[in-house]
Amino acid sequence: MSEDNNKQDLKSQGIKGYLLPAVVVAFSFAVIYTVVVAIPNLPSLKSKPSEYAIEYIEKNKDGSIKRDSKTGRPVPNQAGRGRAIYSREGCFYCHSQFVRPQDRDFGSRVRAGDYANETPNVLGTSRTGPDLSNEGGKLPDEWHIAHLKDPRFYTPGSIMPSFSFLSDDELKDLVAYLQTLGRKRFDDPANRHIYEAYFPEADEAFWKASEHHKPNVDSAAAANAGAGIYRQNCAVCHGLNGLGNGPNALAMAKKPANFSDPKYKKYSNETWYWRVAEGVPGTRMPRWKLKLEPQQMWYLVAFLKTLPQDEKPIIEPYQSIDSAAWQSQSALPAGIVSNYEKLSAGAAKSSTGGSASAH
Amino acid sequence: MLSAIVWLVIGMGAGLLGALEFSFPDLTKGVAQLSFTRLRPAHVNTVAFGWLSMANVGACLYIIPALCKTKLFSEKLANFSCYLWNIAIGLGFITLANGYTEGREYAEYREPIDILIVIALGSVSYNLFRTLLTRKVKKLYVSVWYIMGAFFWMPIIFIVGNRTFVAMDGLNDGILNWFYGHNILGMWFTVLGVGIAYYMLPKMSGKPIWSHSLSMFGFWTIAFFYAPTGTHHLLQSPVPEWLKALAVIFSAALVIPVISVLVNFYMTMKGSWWMLTTNMPIRFVLTGAFWYLITCIQGPFQATRGINWYIHFTQWVVGHAHAALLGTFTFFVIGALYYGIQRITGKRIYSVRLVKWHYWLLLIGFTLFFLALTIAGLQQSVGWALGYPVAQWSLTLMPMWLVRSIGGTLMFFSSCLFAYNIYMTLREQPISSALEIKVAVPIEGDSN
Repeated sequence: MSEDNNKQDLKSQGIKGYLLPAVVVAFSFAVIYTVVVAIPNLPSLKSKPSEYAIEYIEKNKDGSIKRDSKTGRPVPNQAGRGRAIYSREGCFYCHSQFVRPQDRDFGSRVRAGDYANETPNVLGTSRTGPDLSNEGGKLPDEWHIAHLKDPRFYTPGSIMPSFSFLSDDELKDLVAYLQTLGRKRFDDPANRHIYEAYFPEADEAFWKASEHHKPNVDSAAAANAGAGIYRQNCAVCHGLNGLGNGPNALAMAKKPANFSDPKYKKYSNETWYWRVAEGVPGTRMPRWKLKLEPQQMWYLVAFLKTLPQDEKPIIEPYQSIDSAAWQSQSALPAGIVSNYEKLSAGAAKSSTGGSASAH
Repeated sequence: MLSAIVWLVIGMGAGLLGALEFSFPDLTKGVAQLSFTRLRPAHVNTVAFGWLSMANVGACLYIIPALCKTKLFSEKLANFSCYLWNIAIGLGFITLANGYTEGREYAEYREPIDILIVIALGSVSYNLFRTLLTRKVKKLYVSVWYIMGAFFWMPIIFIVGNRTFVAMDGLNDGILNWFYGHNILGMWFTVLGVGIAYYMLPKMSGKPIWSHSLSMFGFWTIAFFYAPTGTHHLLQSPVPEWLKALAVIFSAALVIPVISVLVNFYMTMKGSWWMLTTNMPIRFVLTGAFWYLITCIQGPFQATRGINWYIHFTQWVVGHAHAALLGTFTFFVIGALYYGIQRITGKRIYSVRLVKWHYWLLLIGFTLFFLALTIAGLQQSVGWALGYPVAQWSLTLMPMWLVRSIGGTLMFFSSCLFAYNIYMTLREQPISSALEIKVAVPIEGDSN
């Protein structure tokens, strides 16, 4: 009898028992579909690509999307293929791709539209290695390929896995992708202010530290001391005379500064010092305060102020890595004498005997 | 009252523990230089879906019929989903190691495997809901609420989270990814784990739960607060501000269910704390509850903007994730396995000493692991906050990586002991008399 009762109960519950869950399930799926798929895909709400969004799809000459003749799917370009490898090899587990407001050294911040062409996302959630949002153009292709094959040869102490198992074509695609990252952001003149930013009053501790053993920046002795530091650390990118044409410059998409540009006339001592100490975000220009003492950076400033700044920048393109050619190419054009030489000449004249040199 | 199938599922979960997944955390550390990026998704998915999900599902297939005082709706169906699930995890491991990935964290399995998992998951859900409909008790115990809630949410979350079913572009993809990534933790592992612990504690201590209404309060606050928290993984990205605000507020509010659950656990144990010394399953469950306290107080704090500003992107977060999945829910379900394996098979556990070794190795290994990752995370956060180049401070983390490997080795070794112990238990002769089974159920220490 109790079994009969139970059966009766279940039967009477039957409709209730199935209808309610069915309605709940159907309703929740409807809600989720609406919120997750339908609304974001409305044409007016769909995320629009910003001018910095990277194209990953091959285009025909007339600008239309090239499609695979068999599958009808869009054909990825080289960066698109590289992105697929980036995603497949899980690079995003250790390298994030969004610059946060508080990040330094990673260049300008990202906006939502920059990601419009990206799927699956590679934002990343852990940074075991550096952020790559603005990596493109900082280093030459050859460096990237060699570094991917043997990371510890280039960065001792790095724990990045070696990707030597990738084929040469795959490595090329991957590097092509890396080189597109942030390039459009960097090339936009509207973003210049980020790279030129100057915040002298931002950091009291910074300026207090800079006062330690601060030399007289206008003295020839300081400029002489700075010249040595410059040749050791800076000339390889900026060139011997600061024309931005050192050997490394050849391989860089984001070229080093050319100090003959007249805008550097406006630089105060503190501007120079700040720029040397803090580097240039988004480029290979390092934050020298991590390596040099304040006194050494002031010496550098003293030297940098002596470089020639003309009405218009002196452009001396760098073409060869042959050392003899380099010497002649980075020489100043005839008739222009570096302030540094003038200053040293003056210092040598005014000194008594041979003891004045600060070398 | 119980079917042999239920045992099979739990046995499979236990077998997988030793054979498949627990070796991978260790492997990833050991050979990190070679192919860490391939092993990482394989490890995460195998541990999360292979070990923890499967063991949890096995425990639920025992608990739900037991609490409803009825039989499982269909043993065949449970068997079927068990095989399907195993096939999916096995295939998934092979494909991930070979670079076939969707490329979204926690959702790396490719399309065919996603479909297999959805079918297996859906059939388990259907099975349990049908079991629930034929129940012989009117009032639902809190564990039933928790577990059935999980089986209702998980298929939805899984379908939303995988590109196979829903594909989107750009940042929306990231938001969806973290909706999924955080909710398999919140609305699947947490809910299942807490449900199991709610079953284990009163059962073994022999006391009723301290407050039924408090436990229901905990359930509904989890259900209410968890869903939108995922965006706290993207707090400094260009995601809309209102979404971030929602994620932060709801993350912080998760303290409420956590405190209510823990108060209930600890008050239930009041007067029975001595059981920790002799009763091994209860020791595992209470250790899990301790890690639950740590991880779930840590979680809401690190989701707030100020702290997230500092510790985002660091290994601290990795340590936190392990504290939840390994420290808390793995401990819960191991307790349930030691309890259930004797209950279902009627066999005495092979060696209590091995259980103790398992416990201590796992606990010490995991504590080392957690502390190393936390310290490493703080070091990293200093590096990011000051803007020093990675190459400058990455060397200072080396000792932490070493300690982490040591912890991982201990945990791996303890899991091997666990698998061996369970295997030997299954080979033993069952105890025939019902009285002896009752005696065998709590694993008493042979010393003390």
